[in-house]
Amino acid sequence: MQAIADSFVGTGPMGAMAAQHEEDVRAIQQQQLTPSLAVPPISQPTAFLRAHTDDASNPDCKIKIAHGTTTLAFRFKGGIVVAVDSRATAGNWVASQTVNKVIRINPFLLGTMAGGAADCQYWETWLGGQCRLYELREKQRISVAAASKILSNLVYSYKGMGLSMGTMVCGYTAREGPTIYYVDSDGTRLKGDLFCVGSGQTFAYGVLDATYKWDLTVEEALALGKRSILAATHRDAFSGGSVNLYHVTEEGWVYHGNYNCGPAIWEAKEKEDSFNNIITKLKDDE
Amino acid sequence: MDIVLGLRIKGGVLVATSKAATRGISVIKVGDDKTRELNPNTLMAYTGEAGDTVQFAEYIMANTRLYGIRHDIELSPSAVASFTRNQLAKALRSRKPYQVNVLIAGFDPKTEKPTLNLIDYLASNVELPYAAHGYAAYYTMSLLDRHWKEGMTQEEGVVLMRMCIKELQTRLPVDFKGVYVKVVDKDGIRDVSALVYPDEYPEAEVTEELEVQQGEIAA
Amino acid sequence: MGSRRYDSRTTIFSPEGRLYQVEYAQEAISHAGTAIGILAKDGIVLAAERKVTSKLLEQDTSAEKMYTLNESMVCAVAGLNSDAGILVQNARKSAQDYLRTYNEEIPCEQLVKHVCNVKQGYTQHGGLRPFGVSFIYAGYDDIRQFQLYQSNPSGNYSGWKATSMGANKASAQTLLRQDYKDDMTLAEACELAVKILSKTMDNTNLTSEKLEFATVSKDAKDHVVHRIWQPDQIDQLLKDSGLGKEEDDE
Repeated sequence: MQAIADSFVGTGPMGAMAAQHEEDVRAIQQQQLTPSLAVPPISQPTAFLRAHTDDASNPDCKIKIAHGTTTLAFRFKGGIVVAVDSRATAGNWVASQTVNKVIRINPFLLGTMAGGAADCQYWETWLGGQCRLYELREKQRISVAAASKILSNLVYSYKGMGLSMGTMVCGYTAREGPTIYYVDSDGTRLKGDLFCVGSGQTFAYGVLDATYKWDLTVEEALALGKRSILAATHRDAFSGGSVNLYHVTEEGWVYHGNYNCGPAIWEAKEKEDSFNNIITKLKDDE
Repeated sequence: MDIVLGLRIKGGVLVATSKAATRGISVIKVGDDKTRELNPNTLMAYTGEAGDTVQFAEYIMANTRLYGIRHDIELSPSAVASFTRNQLAKALRSRKPYQVNVLIAGFDPKTEKPTLNLIDYLASNVELPYAAHGYAAYYTMSLLDRHWKEGMTQEEGVVLMRMCIKELQTRLPVDFKGVYVKVVDKDGIRDVSALVYPDEYPEAEVTEELEVQQGEIAA
Repeated sequence: MGSRRYDSRTTIFSPEGRLYQVEYAQEAISHAGTAIGILAKDGIVLAAERKVTSKLLEQDTSAEKMYTLNESMVCAVAGLNSDAGILVQNARKSAQDYLRTYNEEIPCEQLVKHVCNVKQGYTQHGGLRPFGVSFIYAGYDDIRQFQLYQSNPSGNYSGWKATSMGANKASAQTLLRQDYKDDMTLAEACELAVKILSKTMDNTNLTSEKLEFATVSKDAKDHVVHRIWQPDQIDQLLKDSGLGKEEDDE
């Protein structure tokens, strides 16, 4: 995918939104500034891509797209907490344990990464460029709503062509306050207070929903974000490595460190008396 | 399993849409509004393929509002429905059809008539007294066939809507997280969820009349 | 001739701020047969003078200056008939496009505006000559009921109670100003139209060969009806208003 993504062509993406009064609509669209992907020169690019990348239907496929992930973000009294794991898998192969799944779009905007690693990395970096251009044009920071809509319109224009992204655009502006938008490659874009995305989302939801409340302190919120990812890395084979933690405030985002999941599990077990399914002694030892 | 349901009442149309936004096995939002105000007297409620739904609804909304600005007069609800049908028909034979089903509820200030149009992704357009898309139709159509009457008041409509929602909550295997209910009438478009869910909106007033009517219909 | 340098290009303003080609087109129209339109309380009448250029010309009984645009609009032409044909074809198509899209008739003013946008385009885009046509449109819609519009080669249009175009435009306009009444019926408007044309036309004895009529009105069921008159209907009107040729009395 990365190889394909790197080859720019001049023309815009296929115009998915045919305007009703085409002859009148000459609006300068964001897409005109967009480097676009070259589609494989065959009749059915989508089918081609699927045949060569769908690990589930064809375990022998040649291209294994990095997929599994757990990411989360939630709003609370003290701003936004963003927490993600760091494992990259290609099929059943653990490709990396040290992936950075939070993309720093600018000092006030973060994007999380789930789905195709290349797709997310490429388009969220591109989004950063668009946001900077907006700033230069408008002499003010872009809203989270607008930034997320640029991304959702972009992925929508590629709908059905194999993009795979599940992302949360998180940020703070004076007008909106702390804001999270969920954007995925279906073209869905939703504003919300709490999202978990990726193969481990259900596990993260489980812990997060049970303990979450609006009035969390910053320390509690960061701990909850970290703990929720930890829970997911424990149960989801495609999530793991370490937890990356961020806190978004009116001053922008603050990085709160990287926590290796191995030691963190034992630490949690000891402190919380949790993870009691993990047995540390054999019966005979008692 | 989204719910999109509409019924015509005297001088207006009631529309209910479920609040849950579901992706895979997770409900990712519980306050999702699946409607768009196309112009001051026309409302579109939509369901279908993720991404397509909002893009399509907002595209129709943009064109409908553009018409209003250009010509200094709003399109009638039936004209909006025809336009929407045409766009779906055009998309249907394109490389990438919109997989979207919609209801168009409107009140035409010129004829003073409320209308409800059901349009599916295959671009069928039909004007109906009550309509629903998806699984909701299986439960509510019989109920509406039984209880819907021409010229129902808004209060009676709300009671009937409440019956439909109750049935769906009872029989559908998924929790759709409740519905938003909106009315389109001579005064425009308003959220009347509080009338349908009086318990969840304690600040809203429930009239005695309403309770009596509810009793009558239940009996 | 100060205009020489500017008169061959539609796209260029003269130093006095004029577009000569557009003015020439308007001049061409001022030689065409007179046409008038009168808005009555229950309908609209369009009437036009047809110029018979030669006795040898095959006399066609069908109207050539009156066109049906759609189910609720007709128009009268002054100027180049061939140019008018293109614009009418265009207008008919956009009326049908609108009907197909919205399942409603296009509002009159929108159709007029559409034709005028085409006309305007030819006063601006390079190398082309403007349309040498003025129109009077008569129509009905739910927004503004009966309506009468006039447009000229520049692409301007305006709404009228009564208006005229062509050769004796000025004198027709004067007569309309004198005799127009706000509460006229369609029948009265038709008589007024004949009366005015009888005065503005060079030829004093009027026949259906030299006149064309069209009306928009409502029938007993309140449906809009438009018709372009047949020669016998025109003759009947001439007879009723006492302005026809006296041959019948022989």
